[in-house]
Amino acid sequence: MLFLFIIVPLLLAGLLPLLGKLSKRFLPDLLASAAMLFLLVLSVVSAKPLIAGGGIIQQAFWFGAPLNIRLLLDGFSLFMLFTISLVSFAVTLYSINYMDHYGAKANYYALLLVMIAGMNGLVLSSDLFNIYIFLEMAAIASYALVAFGRGHEELEASFKYLMLSAVASAFILLSIAVIFGMTGGVSFGTVAQGLKTLNVKYVVGVCSGLFLAGFGLKAALVPFHSWLPDAHPSAPAPISAMLSAVLIKVSGVYAMTRIFLNVFGLTPALTTVLTVMGVVSIFVGALAALGQNDIKRMLAYSSISQIGYVVLGLGIGTPLGIIGGLFHLFNHALFKSLLFLNAGAVEQSTGTRALDKMGGLAKVMPLTATTSAVASLSIAGVPPLNGFWSKLLIIIALVQAKMHVLAVLAVLGSVITLWYYLVLQRYAFFGKLNEAWQGVREAPFWMSASMVLLALLCVVTGLVFPFAIHSWLQPAADVLGQGIGVALNFIGF
Amino acid sequence: MNPQNLLIPILLPLLLALFSFLLPRGVKRLREVVSVLGAALFVYVAVAFFGQKETFFTLPWLGHGINFELRLYGFSQFILIALSGFTFLITLYSTVRMAGDPRIREYYGYLFLTSAMAAGAVLANNLVPLVFFWEGLLITLYALITIGGKASHRTAVKAFLIGGFCDFCMILGIAILWSQTGTLRMSDISVVPQGLTAVSFYLMMIGAIGKAGSMPFHTWIPDAAVDAPVAVMAFIPAALEKLLGIYMLARICLDLFQLEVNSAPSLVLMTVGALTIVLAVFMALIQKDLKKLLSYHAVSQVGYMMLGIGTAVPIGIAGGIFHMINHAMYKSGLFLAAGSVEQQAGTTELKKLGGLAKAMPLTALGFIVCAAAISGIWPLNGFVSKEMVFHGSYETGYTIFTIAAWLGAILTFASFLKAGHSVFFGPRGLETAAVKESKSPITIPILVLAGLCVLFGVYNSLPLKLFIQPILAGHAAPGEHIDFTAHALAVFNPIALISMGCLLLAFGLHLFGFKRGGNKAYLASEPIHRLPVLHTLYDWAEARVFDLYEQGIKFIQSLSKFLFRFVDRPIDAFYEKVVVGAGRACTGALKAAHNGLYANYLAWTVGGLVIIVWAIGALLR
Repeated sequence: MLFLFIIVPLLLAGLLPLLGKLSKRFLPDLLASAAMLFLLVLSVVSAKPLIAGGGIIQQAFWFGAPLNIRLLLDGFSLFMLFTISLVSFAVTLYSINYMDHYGAKANYYALLLVMIAGMNGLVLSSDLFNIYIFLEMAAIASYALVAFGRGHEELEASFKYLMLSAVASAFILLSIAVIFGMTGGVSFGTVAQGLKTLNVKYVVGVCSGLFLAGFGLKAALVPFHSWLPDAHPSAPAPISAMLSAVLIKVSGVYAMTRIFLNVFGLTPALTTVLTVMGVVSIFVGALAALGQNDIKRMLAYSSISQIGYVVLGLGIGTPLGIIGGLFHLFNHALFKSLLFLNAGAVEQSTGTRALDKMGGLAKVMPLTATTSAVASLSIAGVPPLNGFWSKLLIIIALVQAKMHVLAVLAVLGSVITLWYYLVLQRYAFFGKLNEAWQGVREAPFWMSASMVLLALLCVVTGLVFPFAIHSWLQPAADVLGQGIGVALNFIGF
Repeated sequence: MNPQNLLIPILLPLLLALFSFLLPRGVKRLREVVSVLGAALFVYVAVAFFGQKETFFTLPWLGHGINFELRLYGFSQFILIALSGFTFLITLYSTVRMAGDPRIREYYGYLFLTSAMAAGAVLANNLVPLVFFWEGLLITLYALITIGGKASHRTAVKAFLIGGFCDFCMILGIAILWSQTGTLRMSDISVVPQGLTAVSFYLMMIGAIGKAGSMPFHTWIPDAAVDAPVAVMAFIPAALEKLLGIYMLARICLDLFQLEVNSAPSLVLMTVGALTIVLAVFMALIQKDLKKLLSYHAVSQVGYMMLGIGTAVPIGIAGGIFHMINHAMYKSGLFLAAGSVEQQAGTTELKKLGGLAKAMPLTALGFIVCAAAISGIWPLNGFVSKEMVFHGSYETGYTIFTIAAWLGAILTFASFLKAGHSVFFGPRGLETAAVKESKSPITIPILVLAGLCVLFGVYNSLPLKLFIQPILAGHAAPGEHIDFTAHALAVFNPIALISMGCLLLAFGLHLFGFKRGGNKAYLASEPIHRLPVLHTLYDWAEARVFDLYEQGIKFIQSLSKFLFRFVDRPIDAFYEKVVVGAGRACTGALKAAHNGLYANYLAWTVGGLVIIVWAIGALLR
């Protein structure tokens, strides 16, 4: 059953370019939305009961013969699957209207589905090499999607993204090769078992460094972030939303966390490096965002800053820190995708992304303005919205772990976040309506619906956060809290 | 009686208020007719309640001992009658005086809302509902003052803030009392004021005397006399707030706390009372506007009530409470008379008025009777209650308070001689040549109140036996003499003789001033005004140096200016210059670093890898 998460989007991705010849819009819209809804329902309804008694592993068979492909589902992967499905569903709804003027809708959906299949595969992988395979699969789809507009800027951004990602892939592959050479296997269980018996802490240290650089590049942690401010703004808005809200977390944060916490085991050295990198990312991202005039570029830098919070929380390694980090990961997926969708709506209506040319748009685009305000307040950590609770958990975890300086810095970062989001709101939506935009109209139905959905989720998650933590985050955090015990459990397979 | 009937005195005015709020402004007559009839019904209800057995009504409310409890007994029955009576007379008076006011809907609405809140406050038997109704009065007072027009908003805010301060004190006192006694039920509380409960006593006392308009919480009253509608003045500061404030003070001194004769709280109360009498009457004496003059007397007379109750001697307490109802009648009558003059002559400035007695005989008659009553002329009601206060304060042994009260009596009479003389006698002013008598809805309330003043004086046994004695019955020591009617009008005792002497002295003072002022009555107080030290003090008072509210506002304004200039601005500059500047600098550096060169970015990546591996290695060691 776990294979459905990969096969359904892959099959549809193969079919869509053909179906696109029959129907340019209706069929691709319908099928893609249906597939996303299916995945969302599958992750909520079917997969959750499956792991009631702990994680499970499923093996692929080919005409009765077992293949060496095993998928692992536990609380952590399920949490990621749910996040991916939720955001992709909202983004697909949004694309129904938004992608009309780009043309080639069938190809667009096909690429999006490949990317989703790659991400689903990555979070279900039970060995290092599968992680690499699915990582590349999602990444290649994303290169194409960044360049989807085929303008000069898009192609340049996509190329830069591709070239730096190649470096990341090289680091990751090199590290996997070293580990394979030492332990004779790539599955989580074998590697964990092998590293436990061998006394090679310096080699593991170098491998950790390589993974940190490789996955850090995918996650856009400072100083590996430089591709992101070019790539994310250039993509079509729904893709920017997907990349910033989900892809960097799945291919960067998820892979890194899984390997460091469940396979290598978190050492104090790693905690220090991770938390410091987190705080540096928070500040570099936030301060750079402050100076941007391009709304999507500002959001892209903001992603770097917020990923810093996630890594900071997860890096502490305490149960509360892990819950805070994961909760922030989920919340950021909600509000950052929403903010990119807002930016897309504004760009589609006005034709510009420059903040200083906007102004007073709240009067003509009330829904966009309201949802954007909700997302901005959320991301800045204003109670009672969801972003407040996750940041609060991270800060409390920092204080509990006696990292007081980092706690103060995390609060300061939040203040800067509020600063540039207020700047964004003021320039774009408040004040007197710029005369050029008198005739601007609110975003079409599906775009509005998708934005309202995400805004509601932000509010609801904030209001019922104890429930969200109990039902979705606790199982995921439990898996990470067990450390390498998780990998050792599956050694028989 | 059915306990639920206790809600009628609250709900009936509330319904009348709602009716007035909802009735469109254009509808004429109906509002006035319904209001007068409704107020008459209110009077009927209050009279029907009188003499009923003690009744309790309880509704569960907020829990923790906070219930909606009402209690009807002798004292509250008495206040209810007075309250409903004043509501009726003021409503009748307003039908003419307030006709055509643009905010007529609100006027009647808030008027009846005030009555409803006052009835609730009088009936409440739990301190929390009491505070609820008490605060409601503050809001309606604010609203009613603002009906006076644009200039009145400042005064309304002043009244609101002063009232709010006093109410805050009372709430604090109630909280302390609650923590000390463990109950909020007023009929269950009876403590001796010591230590914390003494603090509670003083705080609640401030709440009560602040409502009554004692010094130093009086300063909004003279301002309101100029700004607010005269009917509001006659209703609230002159009558209702005295009723409520002194009712509350009597409850505090008689029921909630056991006030001992010559104990510290008693002496404090008497001192504040005596100071209020003397200082306010000095201010009243020199006023040149009839309404302002009356308003200072409204403050001064509170002093007698506080002095009487503060003595803790039965005759003093009885005198204080009796003075409360007497004062409500004659001061209300005086304000209504002033309103009548104002409506006909267009002004209340003493200088411009004169000789109106012929043109307005009924108003003049009412004014003179009420003025005689307030001055304490035999055999009017003011004489009776003032004598009782004199006797009470004399019995405590502190003669200084009695002397202060006498001094107040001298100046009261002197100032009313001046006022009455200036307005109703002497040559007619040029501007007031065509003045005629007011309509009957205006003169009737004035004459009714004047008649009551005579009635309560001559037949003083009626109010004393019906109203006052039942209140004291439960508190006086067994066998103590509480029937004061026998010698109420007696003149041949030392105290009464001295009082009479005081009146003669006042007459002499007026005559002297009148002659010195070139036979101009409004200048009769000038000799006292010009006395060496007093003159300076008067100037300061005119400049509001003694007005705690104005001084407080000035202090707060200069404090906030100081904070703005020396604390707020530097912090703001710090944010504007330093924080924003630092942010800009960092942002600029980062922007310059992200120059889009692939080689540059690749270098960061490789450099980052090297640093991380080095750091991990160093940390592992």
